[in-house]
Amino acid sequence: MKKLFLFVTLCSVYGWAALGQPTEDSVRRAYRIDSVVVTARHILRDVGAQKTVLDSVALRDNVTNSMAEVLSQNTSIFIKSYGRATLATASFRGTAPSHTQVTWNGMKMNSPMLGMVDFSMIPSYFIDDATLYHGATSVGVTGGGLGGAVVLSTKPVVENGVGVRYVQGIGSYDTYDEFLRVTYGSARLKSSTRLYYASSDNDFEYTNYRKKLYQYDDNNQIVGWSYPVERNKNGAFRDMHLLQELYYDAGKDNRLNLAVWYTGSRRGIPMLNVDYREENRSKNQQDEQTLRATFSWDHYRDDYKLSANGGYTYTDLKYVYLSDAGEATLQEMIHSQSYVNTAYARFGGEYYLSSAWMVTGNISAHQHFVKSTDRAIVTNNGEKALVGYDKARLEMSALASVKYRPTERWGLAVNLREEMYGTEWTPLIPAFFADYLLSKRGDVLLKASVARNFRYPTLNDLYFMPGGNDSLRAEKGVTYDFGVKFMLGKGRKTNFSGEVTAFNSRIRDWIVWLPTFKGFWTPVNVKKVHSYGLEAKGTLQARWGRAWSLRMDGNFAWTRSLNYGDPASWGDRSIGKQLVYIPEYSAGVTGKLGWKQWMLTYKWNYYSERFTTSSNETATKIGRLAPYYMNDISLERAFRFSFGGVSLKFAVNNLFNEEYESVLSHPMAGRNYSLFIELRPFFKK
Amino acid sequence: MNFTRHVILLIALCAGMCSCMKYGPMDEENFDAGEVLPGDGVFITNEGNFAYGNASLSFYRPSTGSVENEVFIRANGINLGDVAQSMTIRDDRGFIVVNNSSIIFVIDIHTFKVVGTVGPLTSPRYIHFLSDTKAYVTDLYDPRITIFNPQTYEITGRIDVAGHRSTEQMVQYDRYVFVNCWSYDNTILVIDTEKDELVDEIEVGIQPTSLVIDKYNKIWTITDGGYEGNPYGYEAPALCRIDAETRTVERRFAFRQGDTPSELCIDGEGGKLYFINKSIWCMGVTDEYLPLRPFIEDQGTLFYGLGINPASSDIYIADAIDYQQPGMVYRYSSSGTLLDSFRVGIIPGSFCFR
Repeated sequence: MKKLFLFVTLCSVYGWAALGQPTEDSVRRAYRIDSVVVTARHILRDVGAQKTVLDSVALRDNVTNSMAEVLSQNTSIFIKSYGRATLATASFRGTAPSHTQVTWNGMKMNSPMLGMVDFSMIPSYFIDDATLYHGATSVGVTGGGLGGAVVLSTKPVVENGVGVRYVQGIGSYDTYDEFLRVTYGSARLKSSTRLYYASSDNDFEYTNYRKKLYQYDDNNQIVGWSYPVERNKNGAFRDMHLLQELYYDAGKDNRLNLAVWYTGSRRGIPMLNVDYREENRSKNQQDEQTLRATFSWDHYRDDYKLSANGGYTYTDLKYVYLSDAGEATLQEMIHSQSYVNTAYARFGGEYYLSSAWMVTGNISAHQHFVKSTDRAIVTNNGEKALVGYDKARLEMSALASVKYRPTERWGLAVNLREEMYGTEWTPLIPAFFADYLLSKRGDVLLKASVARNFRYPTLNDLYFMPGGNDSLRAEKGVTYDFGVKFMLGKGRKTNFSGEVTAFNSRIRDWIVWLPTFKGFWTPVNVKKVHSYGLEAKGTLQARWGRAWSLRMDGNFAWTRSLNYGDPASWGDRSIGKQLVYIPEYSAGVTGKLGWKQWMLTYKWNYYSERFTTSSNETATKIGRLAPYYMNDISLERAFRFSFGGVSLKFAVNNLFNEEYESVLSHPMAGRNYSLFIELRPFFKK
Repeated sequence: MNFTRHVILLIALCAGMCSCMKYGPMDEENFDAGEVLPGDGVFITNEGNFAYGNASLSFYRPSTGSVENEVFIRANGINLGDVAQSMTIRDDRGFIVVNNSSIIFVIDIHTFKVVGTVGPLTSPRYIHFLSDTKAYVTDLYDPRITIFNPQTYEITGRIDVAGHRSTEQMVQYDRYVFVNCWSYDNTILVIDTEKDELVDEIEVGIQPTSLVIDKYNKIWTITDGGYEGNPYGYEAPALCRIDAETRTVERRFAFRQGDTPSELCIDGEGGKLYFINKSIWCMGVTDEYLPLRPFIEDQGTLFYGLGINPASSDIYIADAIDYQQPGMVYRYSSSGTLLDSFRVGIIPGSFCFR
């Protein structure tokens, strides 16, 4: 009965956002899984795990969202973003972007050159499952997640027959978003094709308080000034993504999956608000073409599972800077290009010795081939030479895991991981987990974990020309977690589930790039960082009668990420200080109020003050960013016709028209509007 | 809970979430440094981090030991910009070159208020004044030297430098301005200031970083030698002496491969050279060998900028520390005694003496 209640509640609330599921039946099926997860006894696979599962409410909130917006709004991860369609990097528990490991269908997404992932390049509508593995828990997924890991994947549609969903968005600044998904399902074969295209001039207007327009008299004396009203310069973008998935049930408990994802992107890199160049006399542009393909074979039985995966990634990333050099056309000043080819393979298995014991093992390999070049002008005639590196590296990782639940209340687990990069091996990466069910009635579960972890240098760290340092050591981390998960009002119309986790980690040999006297930068192992804090998340659900429903999801993080490295010199005031751009507090709340076919969504996002100096200067006008508060609202109405479903949605972003910078000298858009129409024709089964 | 209570709760929560961000116009402060004796005022341009737009200007008075930071922002209520490269004073006006903002701010050196701007340019680096109405600006990317009028702030011309990019520092001998070309280059250019034309080129070594002229009209430059794997070449850095009259390299003082000499400076009398090579080194312009011992040893510091007060010959050394916090400036006497130290802005790069 409780399951039934929860299922009905979730269907009612989620149904609005459940894109890709054209019929009510499929919605029900999709969310029945969630309801089971909530109420079932704690599964053996997740002993002691600190996880955050992003459901479709978060992933399907808005077609314009990338994973950057989703993570920022719905999780404790801090996303450093320069605005829409610009670089968005993650800080998980106060760590660097390269300390968050990201996989897509099991294959690493982190750039082997840079170590990080640009979450703005991942449309949330292309992701069906997203799970965060916090701290020690990430060892079960991959090594190197000193902050944690983000696991992204696609999954087959549930229903059979043909399904079509089309979403079009029109927004301020000539912004257009188009999303089309065509699915087909039969008893054995399921296919999904997704296409997403977004383009925008992204030339929002803002008052530039960082400049003044001076007025002069005839004697060149300043007689007045005003703040210029400028447009965001060079921010135009167009992104295209195409994803094809095939799922085949080969019988005898064998399943085959194939997913191919192509990305083509051209993005301007917006000019700073302290840049006085005219837009037509300077251009910063990044072009990216990426192809990712994964395939897998899974063999499921009652007591074991075997899987084999493979994959391939190709990336062509080009950055050019064009500027006025006196000629009629802009001249290329910087031309950086990199090609990445990565082959991936993995084999793994899980075996349940009994209902109390589970063993897991897997081994994976990523073979990278990277060519990174910079075209340098080396003669006065403009002749160019390539500066860069051309390297290959094999990265392997193996995991052995044992999980044990001697009683219904207790769970224990140990993970052992070993990693190899090039010819180097990291020391053994151990992780231990325990949980204890304190109260069955309140689902109060205590969880604890501890792990040692390592992250090895990226190829740029080692070989970048100029500046690469091939004597770098792997970064080392130790992390401890303790948390409690609970549910209040279980089975009632109004209920609240929550989780609070405390973490404590230390990282040594943190790699930092520093300038040299030769005018370039080089990486060195310098920092020791102590990171600790609290993460909390909760979901409130309520329902009144048949028409009204409410769901509120909230998250909060308190993160202290402090530098305890050796002082660079006696004048170094950065010791014991919060790392640059890491907020001490962050929070996000999403509220969804449903009434019949209407859905009102309100989103609020907060970051506390962020320092841009390692010494956390406060007596400065330019060394810190004021606390960030963002409010977005949308209203959606669904219609059901005989030919299909239609929904209209109107969204207002930056509701209070805040003028702000999220990153120093990068202006952000004020209040802006979007209108979406969604069509879901019905097809006969 | 009934429905009304839920709605009230929801509204209360939403109201609690709303708040305003603190952002907008910055206050302006009034400064008046008043009359300052020659040499008793030092401007420090703090580059700031690339693409952060957090460059700043500090002002220091040696006689009182007082230092005011962020004076440009405080006086004008706007940012100085991205990467403050250099500052040069002419007729009580300071010309601050802000490289990645592509602008030159002109300030009153007593009040720090903006009195004019020059630009936008491409990637300006240094200024050299030829007269009250003519000045040159070098550029990192533009293969031309820009000419502007310091009275009207108008760009009045360009000098084509035959494809040489990254023109840097300038010194003048007679009617000729010598310019070093740093990035992927090995040349000192000679510009005829009457014709505003490139008239000669002198090859010195890979990547000459800085340039001074001594009292004997010898021009000195220091090369960094490139780096391993550099398509332009990699060699031992060198200190080169050029005769300004004959435009020939008279002497090369070679460093060890891997050394990182930079920031060549000269004292007010033009008799002593100073440079950074991890520590601070000093040698006479008539010396026949590089010094064996450093003049001021580094003690875990990251010396980034160097300047010699022409009035007092005091030595100003900038320590960028970790490049992400306000740096330190150490002031030494010409005999090498530490006189003062003070904190300035992020990545203090150059000094300008009033």
